[in-house]
Formats: sequence, C-alpha cells, structure tokens
Amino acid sequence: MEDGVTATQVVFWILAVVMLISAIGVVTAGNIVYAALFFIASLAGVAGIYLILTVEFIALVQLLIYGSAVVILILFALMLTRARERPQALFGRSRPLGIAASLGLLAALIGGIVATTWATPESSSAIQPVGLQAIGDAIFTLWIVPFIIVGVLLSIALDGAIMLASPDEDDN
Amino acid sequence: MPPLDHILIVNAVLFAIGAMGVLTRRNAVLILLSVELMLNAVSLNMVAFAVYGHVDFGNITGIIFAFFIIVIAAAEVALALGIVVRTFRNRATANVDEVNLLKW
Repeated sequence: MEDGVTATQVVFWILAVVMLISAIGVVTAGNIVYAALFFIASLAGVAGIYLILTVEFIALVQLLIYGSAVVILILFALMLTRARERPQALFGRSRPLGIAASLGLLAALIGGIVATTWATPESSSAIQPVGLQAIGDAIFTLWIVPFIIVGVLLSIALDGAIMLASPDEDDN
Repeated sequence: MPPLDHILIVNAVLFAIGAMGVLTRRNAVLILLSVELMLNAVSLNMVAFAVYGHVDFGNITGIIFAFFIIVIAAAEVALALGIVVRTFRNRATANVDEVNLLKW
C-alpha cells in the first residue's frame, strides 16, 4: 500500500473514469437508446469495481441481474413507449435548476467525505477478500428470513408488473 | 487497493450524476435509469465499507445489503416499467410532465 500507486489503483481509476463518463452519457445523451447503451457500460464499470474490491459474488449478481435482465426490460420499455409521430424533447423545463441542485448535492457529499477522518483498519495493508462461503453462510443463517421475504416480494412484484402491463379484458 | 475515501468520492460523483438525471430528464424510463445509477452508487458504497471493515469489525453486512438492494431494484424496475407501459397505453405519453392528472 505504501509504495505509491499500485496496479490495482490504476485499474480502479480507469474503471472509475469509464463508469463516470458512461454515467454522464446516460443522463445527457440525446437519444434514448444511446442512453441505455451507456447504462450498460456504466454497469460494467461498477461490476469491475466490485471485482477490484474482491467481491466476485456481487459482481456476478450485478452482471446477471442488472446487466442482462434489467437492461433488457428497459430496452423493451423504451421500444414500447416510443412516441411515433414527433421527436420528443428529452429534458424538462427545470433543467438548469436540476443541474444546480445536483452540483450542490455533489459539493455537500464530497465536502462531507473529505472532512471526515475515516478510521483506517489496522489490517489495511492486507485487506482480506470476503470469500463466497462467508457470504453464503451469512445469507442462509443470519439473513435467512429477509432472504425468504425478498424472494416472495420479487415474485409478487413480477406478477404485479405482468398484471399492470397486460391488456384488460374489456379495453380494446 | 484504492483508499476508502477515493472509492467514496467516485461513488458520490456517480450518485450526483444519477440525481442530475432524475432532476433533468422528462422521459420516465430515463428517470428510472438514473435512479438505477444512484442505487448502484449506494450499494458500491456499502460493499466498500464492508470490505474495508470486515476484518476489524467481523461482519459483512454491507455485502448482504448490496445483494438485497440489487434484488429489490430488479423488482422495482419491473413494477415501474409496468406502470410506464400502462400509462403510455392510457395517455399516449411516457413523459412525466405530461402525466399531470393529479397536479393541482
């Protein structure tokens, strides 16, 4: 850690820059499909940072759930809700106010982070990777009830989404 | 490993970019994308705290939380897109400022 910039840090900053540039692309792209594609790149950057943090499990979950399922859902929704007749303005009227508010939020967050002295762990020179087995043990012992509840929630939410989006019997 | 505060600053920037998207876009699906960016920033933060602290504090709750956030975000995306598709069918628009039935 003490020998200046390590290779991991270089990779981290490359991934972070890619992720942030794609995130800016998501919120500023003039074409909604480009925004969705930038979103995929941003998700891949986040998954890479999970890998750098030695949490392969979350990186895999990120790529499987976000990178495939959520992105496909969003692309379908974009396709189904595209206004056919006229090109649509993508930004609302309060855009300058929104930019100013988010810059203020950014300043507050960074100010808070810089002003805080983060307790460096004693063992920071050798950060132990969190093994897959430790995550599995935690989910299936301590967190088993939330795990079951979230499974039920997910199936109810997906059923509800199907019910919302499917055509009614009587409207056509 | 990058220092903890570098990761936190990157996540703060990602969160603010997501907030900018939520506040400036008018297409509901693009607002949802920006919300997902903010959720990503938060769960990355939790994972960072868990990884840096689990030796000294002896738990990995942040990682479990990130896992739950991802699962619940999937449910949320499905429901929100169902609502957007339904709104588009009823009112022929996916722009949040044109869906103003409840606006006083």
